[in-house]
Amino acid sequence: MSNVSDKLLIDIGSTYFKVSTDTSIEQHFRDFNKQILDDLNHKCGETVQRYEPDNIHICSSANGGLSTLIIGLTESYSLKYASNIAFNSGINIIESIVFQNIEDYSIPSDLIDVVIIVGGIDTNGGVFDERLDSYLSKLNYSNVVFVGNSPDAQDLNERIKSLVVLPNIIDDRLHIVEAHLKEYLTNLYQQDIEGKEDIKNLYDITGNQIYSTPYVVNKSLPHINAIFSVTDPFILLDIGGATTDVHYSKDLVSDNIVTEQGHDRIVFKKLGVYKSRQSLVYTAEQNEFAYELLMHLKVTENIYKENSEKATKVIMQLAIFLVLSEMSHYRPSYVTLKLLAMNSIVFTGGITKVLNQKDIEDVVAFFYRKILNSDHKPVTVIDRNYDIWTIGAKEHASCQ
Amino acid sequence: MKVVTGVIGNDIHVVANRLMDLSLNARGYEVFNLGVNTYLEEFFDAAVETGAEILLISSLNGEAEGWGREVKLLKSKYKSLDNLIMMIGGNLTVGSGNAEDIVPRYKNYGFDLVCHQVDLNTGLDMLEDYIKEHQHA
Ligand code: B12
Repeated sequence: MSNVSDKLLIDIGSTYFKVSTDTSIEQHFRDFNKQILDDLNHKCGETVQRYEPDNIHICSSANGGLSTLIIGLTESYSLKYASNIAFNSGINIIESIVFQNIEDYSIPSDLIDVVIIVGGIDTNGGVFDERLDSYLSKLNYSNVVFVGNSPDAQDLNERIKSLVVLPNIIDDRLHIVEAHLKEYLTNLYQQDIEGKEDIKNLYDITGNQIYSTPYVVNKSLPHINAIFSVTDPFILLDIGGATTDVHYSKDLVSDNIVTEQGHDRIVFKKLGVYKSRQSLVYTAEQNEFAYELLMHLKVTENIYKENSEKATKVIMQLAIFLVLSEMSHYRPSYVTLKLLAMNSIVFTGGITKVLNQKDIEDVVAFFYRKILNSDHKPVTVIDRNYDIWTIGAKEHASCQ
Repeated sequence: MKVVTGVIGNDIHVVANRLMDLSLNARGYEVFNLGVNTYLEEFFDAAVETGAEILLISSLNGEAEGWGREVKLLKSKYKSLDNLIMMIGGNLTVGSGNAEDIVPRYKNYGFDLVCHQVDLNTGLDMLEDYIKEHQHA
């Protein structure tokens, strides 16, 4: 690794930003009345000025990334594979549609950044009929990409305007092929970050490309043992203001997806503690055990309406509980992790500044007892100084 | 013709599955082998993704009965599987049982061909006869 001690690392989130030098790490709440560059200069101007643009590395997770809607033939293959690639590329899934029932789905009103269409191995063509065209004609989207069977690719290319066609993500043995779609989505995310007015301004201070934060965090996972004693398999929870990111060891899923990297990522778009606080509370209200958790924490539902330090703490504890629930058999969803096999659970992000070890372990233990009926106790690791992000960013800076 | 095959449920008996793969290939089928530990939904989904004409399920450890009862309901949710030829074989009951009881029961579950403790090659001959019959029909 080259010497990166003379580099400044900056991470822009939806709620905080942080600035790391070799000797210090600062974190600030964002001032939403200011452009991000102004805010940064106002709060850390002196630090920033000490560095040459080439030595400043920036990543951003602000706005929670791109959104996708996936149309696929089946849950077990096309939709599952496309979801896996989308999550690993930092994209949030708004809706997954099983094509045969496409007429039963309502049309999301939000603008979709990218629609992914997938299905069929290459010897199985003719699966997407005009119901696809009809659905797309009503949908509001910016990009559309086809990664399904090759006979349909030619046909759809003529039927759907501006369709991007990439190689099939399902091979002839029904295995996943990630590379092309992943590259396409990662680039799209990249372009999106750079296109945001707010972020664009940051190129005034850096000579390097601005990357997405999940991408940087994923880079650090193979090196996590350099800083923490983490035993595989583990999960890493990054509970943010708008979204919550979970990176998990592949060993925690028994799955038909065989991919190369050791860690996959999933995003809960509506489980954040500031911007998505309302939807988090809504999810809690749907969860019969969340109420018991409140009792356990000796508060009532009135806490949702409060704006105190205590309320923030409880909301964060709820977030941990809800995210774990979403990944367990209790809420069957895209992935179900074998949480009883999990040896470590790593926490990073804003919550590490608010909750202490005991607050966190208390909720984790509550989750295992209530949902999994077990005394299992994974080792809790708290990344208070954003070391995970720092090694990821450094790793990245040193490769450039 | 395309065949999707595998062993259903939490069943890990893999030997017959390997032999099945080889025999089907030798007989000229295009085989999609999902291996052991395969759930019913994955079988149907694989048939949809591949456009397979035949689904051939193995069960050795005694789980078949439970899954059999789910077949009709789950299959009715798929709009493109009406012509799928459904076959099941292996040990289709817990302990011993006789084919006279077992075969009609599984046909009722929605299987076209049922091979309780039938040798693999005999079973595949039955499949060929079935296909011939139905092509003529
Ligand atoms: C080897 C073996 C194991 C090994 C498996 C290793 C492996 N990874 O494959 C191990 C030790 C792990 C094992 C575990 C268990 N086993 Co075991 N096992 C056997 C054994 C001895 C041989 C199976 C074998 O490989 N035979 C060779 C292959 C080629 O033959 P076959 O499997 O019978 O298949 C033939 C036909 O059935 C046919 N066939 C199969 N599928 C299909 C499909 C179609 C469409 C057609 C036409 C034909 C067909 O083709 C094959 C060739 O002709 C049998 C007993 C026996 N002698 O059969 C028990 C046996 C299958 N096991 C049995 C049981 C109960 C278990 C366990 C539940 C034991 C336990 N209590 O833990 C576990 C289950 C684990 C699990 N989750 O599935 C029982 C099942 C009883 C039942 N159905 O009522 C058997 C029959 C033993 C017994 N007599 O009790 N087992």
